[in-house]
Amino acid sequence: MKKILSIVIVLALTAFASLAVVTNASAEEFKMTGTISKIELAADGKAATVVLKDTKSEASVTVIVSDELTLDKFKDKRIVEGDEIRTKYDSEGGKNTSKMFKKTAGC
Amino acid sequence: MWGKNVVIVMGCILLAATVNAKEHPGKEQILKNGYHGPKTCEECHPGKAKEFLGTVHWKHASKVDHVDNLDPNEEHGMKNRIYTMCNGNDIVNNLKEVPPNALGKTKFTGCNSCHPGDHASDVGSTGAAAEQAIDCLICHSLKYDFSKRKAVKDSSGKVVMTQDRSTEAAANIGRPTIKNCMACHEAAGGGAMIKRGFSMAKGAEVHVTKGIICVDCHQVKNHKFPTGRDPNNWAHDGIYMTCVGECHTIKPHTDADYNRHTDKIACQSCHIPKTGGAFSKDFTKWEKQGNGFYEPSTLKREVNETAPVYAWYNLTVSNTPKFIGPKGSRTDGKSKIYPFKVFQGKAYYNKKDGKLMSMDFAPPIANGDSLAGVASAAKILGIKDYEPVPGWQTIYFGSNHQVTPKNKALSCANCHALNGVLNFKELGYSVKEVERLTNPELYFEKLLKLQQENE
Ligand code: HEC
Ligand code: HEC
Ligand code: HEC
Ligand code: HEC
Ligand code: HEC
Ligand code: HEC
Ligand code: HEC
Repeated sequence: MKKILSIVIVLALTAFASLAVVTNASAEEFKMTGTISKIELAADGKAATVVLKDTKSEASVTVIVSDELTLDKFKDKRIVEGDEIRTKYDSEGGKNTSKMFKKTAGC
Repeated sequence: MWGKNVVIVMGCILLAATVNAKEHPGKEQILKNGYHGPKTCEECHPGKAKEFLGTVHWKHASKVDHVDNLDPNEEHGMKNRIYTMCNGNDIVNNLKEVPPNALGKTKFTGCNSCHPGDHASDVGSTGAAAEQAIDCLICHSLKYDFSKRKAVKDSSGKVVMTQDRSTEAAANIGRPTIKNCMACHEAAGGGAMIKRGFSMAKGAEVHVTKGIICVDCHQVKNHKFPTGRDPNNWAHDGIYMTCVGECHTIKPHTDADYNRHTDKIACQSCHIPKTGGAFSKDFTKWEKQGNGFYEPSTLKREVNETAPVYAWYNLTVSNTPKFIGPKGSRTDGKSKIYPFKVFQGKAYYNKKDGKLMSMDFAPPIANGDSLAGVASAAKILGIKDYEPVPGWQTIYFGSNHQVTPKNKALSCANCHALNGVLNFKELGYSVKEVERLTNPELYFEKLLKLQQENE
């Protein structure tokens, strides 16, 4: 009984997940590790434009960060220019929107 | 059951949460004379620096009397423990520069980078120099510039931690905010939310949403921090706390059906149904990163993705090389059912004595060679007779934060339905009892009524 139920749940979740992918299909997701060369906070403090240098390709990539926790880290300089970070972002119509933005760290 | 010199405090968060930030009376003098480290504060708060040197935050250790297989006369903590969430400690992973990696890059690494000293005055140091090295402002400044806190080499080549000692930072003193505490607590375990996997953002936690912060619940007196009985947070300042205190009684619900459970089930079991973060790491295999450095390979989840394991816990801890977790049973009269995040880590054991070995991360960070890390740690500790063999350790972390909104707390059917979150059999209930505990008779009428009300 328990097994059957959980299989049903897994199936339901899978169905849901694939739907989610379909609706997002127009935006492409990228991952990268890079060094911050510039952080520009918007005047209203609700977004920041960050220029990164890809550690591997050395290419310059610009991402928009708008989650509050990360913006806060820019404001009190817990994340600054020169820091190495890892990011995941959606790219759509030439605009890169960050979905994850974290400092690299060991243990 | 509690240690001799242990007091139990009861925090009242509701009162504290309504207090408004007021200007610090020392502000003018600090603006006038500048900030010269703790001695500036001590002009008006004498004795605070010395007091701080005696706490877990400075010593990264304390005597521990609720954990198996420890010498009760020694101090234990991040300073000297070895487990597989982070396979080292302050001693073997003393802050240092790692050797250059294949790209010629180096960086600083060390567990004691999360110590509020300057590294010259390190974990557990004492005396006048240590007192003046304390970074009071990392906890107390509302304008701390965190980019000023980093490891660098001083003019003599020694690795030191710098601090923000600006007048600007010192002129903005207040009660520590979540941010101040999270400066170290967020990245414990090797990255944001890795070890504990809880978010303290507004909206993610009911108390934080209401403006209640770390120090409202953790009511710090004379720099002694109350803590709980997480099986993997051994060091303590002699003050313990639980969810039950001035704010919440042991029977906090208007609904007696919930209150009947609180003698056997800890509050956290129903109110913290999910956490996240790392659930497994392999320290024998390091993964190469884009920047040429290596990291221990880690499996992790987002903050709300991991369901806990529920176990009886009598607040004493089983500690063996292969397992660190709760002791307790249904029948010992002291245990309650608590939620835990189960973590499994792979590292090297010494075949000669079966003990878990520790690792100096500097070599593997640079080139992925985990055995070189073991050799370096063994050398630091003076261990000569060893043969490293890989093996797994299981660790239980208490789920004590990220209280979920009450409509997501576990209700009757979450436990009493056949696919409920508790494994009654494993928890020690007999076949007959399990039948009764999974019979809809227990909750059917109640949930039906609730459903009708909500429709
Ligand atoms: C000129 C005197 C003076 C100096 C210098 C001074 N303080 Fe204070 N501080 C006070 C007084 C007065 C109070 C309020 C009385 C109390 O609560 O004990 C206070 C209160 C505090 C509080 C409690 C604040 C609260 O909102 O709960 C903290 C924390 C504190 N000081 C930290 C510091 C630190 C850290 C320094 C050094 C950077 C410092 N003080 C320097 C006079 C001073
Ligand atoms: C980013 C700050 C930070 C770094 C770096 C850090 N720790 Fe910790 N560690 C903490 C905090 C905060 C705690 C206590 C709270 C907790 O466990 O959630 C802790 C607790 C511990 C404990 C449990 C101590 C006890 O009293 O039982 C061990 C063991 C530990 N850390 C090992 C390590 C090792 C090994 C390293 C380095 C390889 C390390 N830590 C690096 C922040 C850090
Ligand atoms: C690890 C964080 C931390 C560090 C470092 C720290 N404090 Fe505190 N301090 C606290 C907390 C937490 C409280 C309690 C705040 C509250 O609940 O209002 C406190 C309270 C205080 C108070 C007011 C209450 C009292 O005990 O008189 C003073 C004054 C103070 N600290 C001074 C200092 C000084 C001076 C230093 C550096 C020598 C320092 N603190 C370092 C965390 C810290
Ligand atoms: C400079 C880094 C740092 C800061 C800032 C910091 N902590 Fe810690 N904290 C640690 C480390 C490291 C440990 C674990 C030490 C060990 O167990 O050996 C710890 C342990 C603890 C513990 C358990 C041990 C005890 O003393 O009871 C509590 C509770 C705690 N911290 C709360 C807080 C709160 C609340 C704040 C904010 C006022 C804070 N910490 C700020 C590094 C920090
Ligand atoms: C709503 C109240 C509350 C808030 C807010 C809170 N804590 Fe706790 N914390 C607790 C309780 C209760 C325990 C002990 C639970 C037990 O063991 O029964 C605890 C335990 C801990 C421990 C021991 C290890 C563990 O996870 O059990 C640490 C470290 C800690 N808290 C740090 C923090 C820090 C840092 C913050 C702010 C970012 C914070 N706490 C915010 C209530 C709170
Ligand atoms: C068996 C599960 C369970 C246990 C154990 C439990 N709770 Fe609850 N609690 C709930 C549920 C479910 C709700 C939401 C009920 C509702 O909204 O009617 C709730 C509601 C609450 C509320 C909100 C009450 C209100 O009127 O808004 C508080 C506060 C609370 N619990 C505290 C605690 C504390 C403290 C403990 C430990 C002493 C605890 N609970 C133990 C399931 C539990
Ligand atoms: C966190 C899981 C959990 C939740 C949620 C929960 N229960 Fe329980 N319940 C238990 C456990 C475990 C026991 C057995 C406790 C013991 O050993 O005394 C129990 C015992 C009972 C008993 C006594 C059964 C007997 O015959 O001994 C009743 C009745 C009951 N629950 C009803 C409810 C109702 C009604 C709700 C919702 C309001 C509820 N439970 C929510 C876990 C839960």
